Amino acid sequence: MELRELTKAYGARRGLTGLTLQVRRGEVFGYLGPNGAGKSTTIRLLLDLIRPTSGEARVLGLDPRADGVALRRRVGYLPGDFVCDGRQSVRAYLRFLAALRGGVPQTAIDALADRLGLDQTARIKSLSKGNRQKVGLVQAFMHEPELLILDEPSAGLDPLMQQTFLDMVAEASAAGQTVFMSSHIMSEVEAVADRVGIIRDGRLVALDAVANLRSGTVRDIEVTFDAAVPPGAFEDVAGADRLRLDETRTVLTGQVAGSPDALVKALAAHTVLSLRATEPALEELFHTYYDGAEAAPKATSASRS
Amino acid sequence: MSSAVFAKSLTDSRRGLIGWAVGIALVGVVYASTYPSQKENTANLPEALRESLNIDATAAGYLHASVFGVILPLLAMVYGIMAGSRAVASDEESGQLDLLLAHPVTRTSLAAQRFWALTVGALAIAVLVWLGLLTVRSSAELTSVTPLEFLAQCLNLALLAVFFGALALGVGAATGKRNVVLAASAAVGVLAYTASTFAGQLDADWLAWLTPFHYYIGGEPLRNGFQWADAAVLVVASAVFVGVGLFRFNRRDVNA
Repeated sequence: MELRELTKAYGARRGLTGLTLQVRRGEVFGYLGPNGAGKSTTIRLLLDLIRPTSGEARVLGLDPRADGVALRRRVGYLPGDFVCDGRQSVRAYLRFLAALRGGVPQTAIDALADRLGLDQTARIKSLSKGNRQKVGLVQAFMHEPELLILDEPSAGLDPLMQQTFLDMVAEASAAGQTVFMSSHIMSEVEAVADRVGIIRDGRLVALDAVANLRSGTVRDIEVTFDAAVPPGAFEDVAGADRLRLDETRTVLTGQVAGSPDALVKALAAHTVLSLRATEPALEELFHTYYDGAEAAPKATSASRS
Repeated sequence: MSSAVFAKSLTDSRRGLIGWAVGIALVGVVYASTYPSQKENTANLPEALRESLNIDATAAGYLHASVFGVILPLLAMVYGIMAGSRAVASDEESGQLDLLLAHPVTRTSLAAQRFWALTVGALAIAVLVWLGLLTVRSSAELTSVTPLEFLAQCLNLALLAVFFGALALGVGAATGKRNVVLAASAAVGVLAYTASTFAGQLDADWLAWLTPFHYYIGGEPLRNGFQWADAAVLVVASAVFVGVGLFRFNRRDVNA
């Protein structure tokens, strides 16, 4: 999958600005950004639902516009807000979607539905949001596409199902399928993604392996000692200006940027009663990548990302 | 070309379609059955009034002015507009079009299959109306109109529904907005109906030629049988609506 200088203008507002991105065959790519950043816009461009203002996209070596049907045959897509309709049963609906692809073995559909605990005899309109999302997942995975494009895939799934979903992604990846999944939640992506791209206001602001991205982020920490430590105990630690001891000198609070290694080694000289370090939230990750680049984040626009 | 969309459109709409077909046929049958009692009333009307209402005491004249002149074409029009607005615009507004078009289906194929489904629906309605009228043909003293002449008028009824269905589908494909579809189709329907009514009174033939109702009933199929040229006009106009809508559909963004 290759995007070159992809731009999509919506009136005065820019949907995407000069997006250049490569996703390799067989990799799991996490596409992160807040709502309204342009994630769904990118995805809909890949599927030829909308057309770029300028720039070019190639997916599986094909042009989404010129070779749309051939391309979409090899793609499984889960829309950001998956909607399905009607009085029909889940089974009938999945059969219909399978028929659009020229048929999918019923065993494949059954296996996925069973795995996700989806009752195929239920009527679509009686389904909860989570169960609808399962229908969406089944239809995206059922024909074992070469490329899975998943927009906010675990929205509405309970934690157990989220794990099942992540397993499915990992297995798809192991089987050589490429996965492009968007999310605004870091934790959803980091477990399975090989690389992550972060998009904000229609621009790619970071693109790296998950581990590398994390290395530049900031964590809040809080350490409690069993006895007062010397006043200057952590002065030599890199970035110590962001750490502070309370008046009893038994609690250390503050932030650590990047690797906490130096701090951990300094802490080792004392008896630590408790240690708390937050996982850097995606929002902080954005700010890390955004510092100085632009002012405070703009209010999320009314439309979807 | 896969026919999955076509088949699904029909199965999804089967309840509504059966309701429509039975309802429209019943209305037709009930109205037609009143001919024996209305015949007297009509005959008693002053000549001038009869002229202006475009009604005469014959069975064909009565059906032309009442059943096929007013109520059935309006119902057929409403069916067409509803089916046509569902074809693209409704799905697009609800967000379901995204998923369908992410499948290996072209936009042209999707819209065309839905158009065929609404055409089949219109034909089904017309056939049911025809069968309904045949059952009361002798009891309602309508035997002066042959079954074939009934069929000719019912065919035009179907084509009228298809005309409005194509209009609604075309506007929906071009804009993707259900409100625009309903407003535009209803406006065309009202204007066309008004024009066809006034055209008779004003003797303005050119005005009549502009309205679909003229091609639907102007040739008086109940008296003259099949009016192939009129039918062809409705078919061609429908094809143009669908074609123009598709042209735009294939070039625009699908609304999120």
